[in-house]
Amino acid sequence: MYYIHAIQSMNNSDVFKQEDIHQKLVNVSENPALVTPDFKTYIAPTALRRLSPILRMGITLAKEVQAAVDQPFDAISVGTGLGCLTDTEKFLNVIYTVEGDVLSPTAFIQSTHNTIAGQISLDLGNHSYNMTHTQNNLSFEMALIDGMLCCEEGSKNVLVGAADESIVFLNKLKPSVFDSETLFTTSATFLAISADKMESSIAILACKTIANAAEISVETNAFLAAFGLSLEQINCFVLNTNELETPANSEVFHIDDQLGFNQSSSAFAVHVAHDFLKSSTNEFALIVNRSSNNYLGLILLKNDKTHN
Amino acid sequence: MDIFITGLGAISTIGNNVDEIYASLLAEKTGIRKGTLDHSMKYHVGEVALSNEGLMEHFKLKTKGSRTALLGMVAAKEAFQGHQLMDEVRTGLISGTSVGGMDITEEEYRNYLKTETFDAEKYKHHPSGTTTEQMAAELGITGFVNTISTACSSAANAIMMGARLIRSNQLDRVVVGGTDSLTHFTISGFRSLMIFDPEWCRPFDETRKGLNLGEGAGYIVLESEKSLQLTGKTPLAKLTGWSNASDAYHQTASSPEGNGAVLAMTKALSVAQLQPTDIDYINAHGTATPNNDSSESKAFIKVFDGKVPPFSSTKAYTGHTLAACGGIEAVIAVLSIQNNVLFPNLNHTTPIEETGLIPVKQITRIENVTNVLSNSFGFGGNNSSLIFSKL
Repeated sequence: MYYIHAIQSMNNSDVFKQEDIHQKLVNVSENPALVTPDFKTYIAPTALRRLSPILRMGITLAKEVQAAVDQPFDAISVGTGLGCLTDTEKFLNVIYTVEGDVLSPTAFIQSTHNTIAGQISLDLGNHSYNMTHTQNNLSFEMALIDGMLCCEEGSKNVLVGAADESIVFLNKLKPSVFDSETLFTTSATFLAISADKMESSIAILACKTIANAAEISVETNAFLAAFGLSLEQINCFVLNTNELETPANSEVFHIDDQLGFNQSSSAFAVHVAHDFLKSSTNEFALIVNRSSNNYLGLILLKNDKTHN
Repeated sequence: MDIFITGLGAISTIGNNVDEIYASLLAEKTGIRKGTLDHSMKYHVGEVALSNEGLMEHFKLKTKGSRTALLGMVAAKEAFQGHQLMDEVRTGLISGTSVGGMDITEEEYRNYLKTETFDAEKYKHHPSGTTTEQMAAELGITGFVNTISTACSSAANAIMMGARLIRSNQLDRVVVGGTDSLTHFTISGFRSLMIFDPEWCRPFDETRKGLNLGEGAGYIVLESEKSLQLTGKTPLAKLTGWSNASDAYHQTASSPEGNGAVLAMTKALSVAQLQPTDIDYINAHGTATPNNDSSESKAFIKVFDGKVPPFSSTKAYTGHTLAACGGIEAVIAVLSIQNNVLFPNLNHTTPIEETGLIPVKQITRIENVTNVLSNSFGFGGNNSSLIFSKL
């Protein structure tokens, strides 16, 4: 069991540094805008100018999470589906439009997927394990599996997160590339996990990814059965699919309604489930992350505030 | 718990398979020459001679994909040759890549800039994760499929992730490594950083000017002891040590003293439960940039307390294959162990003045290569070290 000691998100709902975010979600508009704090509070103005939204989010969320746990991370594991798209597109423009021998390297340097985790290590002066996973919409699950493994190996305070940013061009491609009609949005969530309980009461029990998933209810039931659980015992579902029949008395959040299409949405789903459990005496929450190409991510959360 | 290596596969400019690569290494034959493509012709690069169609035909590939995916399929299939899929053996694929399907994306995007029209289908190949999914489809692997993207340390990190998942009993067998194709994007990127050597690169040489880029893929198969009993495969070597650490110094440059590299090497030795004196050969990251080689040399001196074991960079053979290099060099490390041979650092004449370290300069056969340390360092100060050991 890996306890969540701090969790922060940023996206088109006003959720950064908010409590009970499950009550503060707004449905994605036709023109979703990232709700941000004043980044200057977190990042020096000279650095801020060259940083894309995904990097600004990553640094700010990591700093806020570290401030909350008040100790340096001993491992950092980040997921991203499409990485630093703003800088990738910027550098593509540079190489095809700038004449002459001298090109600015900034966009290239910041285009690699691991710029998010790398920039966090730079800003926090952190020398620990630093990993970046990219597996389409299961990127967060991969980062979480790694983070939990770090805890198993002895790390005491692991930063896990996921971030994806929207660019205009991708919204043009999205219907055919991702079989999705909903808008592509920007979202990031970072959390600190540890095997130590301390003051936390919400824990991640398990995370599993499945390729070539069979029927979703079959996979979900099998996943829960390993913990002696059934669907009826799950109080809260955060999902991006209509394929799963959820019990009548459970709370259900369809994360796509708020986030549109975002490959880091399962990280935000953990935040929603975390706040729901924290504000209640409910015991279990399940995140169901289904992709169009038959991959499935499942994350089980437990509230042991009242259930020991 | 022991992590056994039971398969090797690689493709690079010095060979389409492990045997060809080994022959080129022994013949001290570089594959770096003037590029043949519009975006590579001005530079010395390590291109794989076969075109995409050539790769598909020559290696009878069934799955379509970007050049990165095709190169990955070739090397991963070679590594997985003779392996059978079976329900009792939980089998995964963890692949490192930095460009994914950029080779297709950049062509399409150039067309878009000219015509403002686009073929969305082509962009389906772009995500790095999709590159790995295409490889998994070609191999028939339906279990754990993951992609690591940490620039030039991607393959080393994929290898490390696989070993850790086996040790944690989450997997029994896993194909791990990395792949990257040469793209206009990366060639322009390294040009913008002004770290190309216009001639052949000279790792660890005082007069080195920079790197030559390359392309390729390298994969190994890792198995637990329990898995060996079921697969019946004969192990070739073991993976005994691994570590990743962050330099936290600069977005692209390494710290002058190689702090992240020192941490990675020291922790890898500790995971392997080895002393620095146990290392027989280091296959260095050695990109031949002024910054990397100076920083890595100083890190060697610190970790090995001045008594640096024989070391070399094989990048003057292959070029710097970015996310693939840790995979190709893992294969080279196992070849070194299997054959008790140290591969030379081509093009070296003058030691770096500040450190005086002299790499292995010709094919050197020693009685026993037992432990090989392999370094891979990436942008973002991402430093990884692996240790391969004789059975």
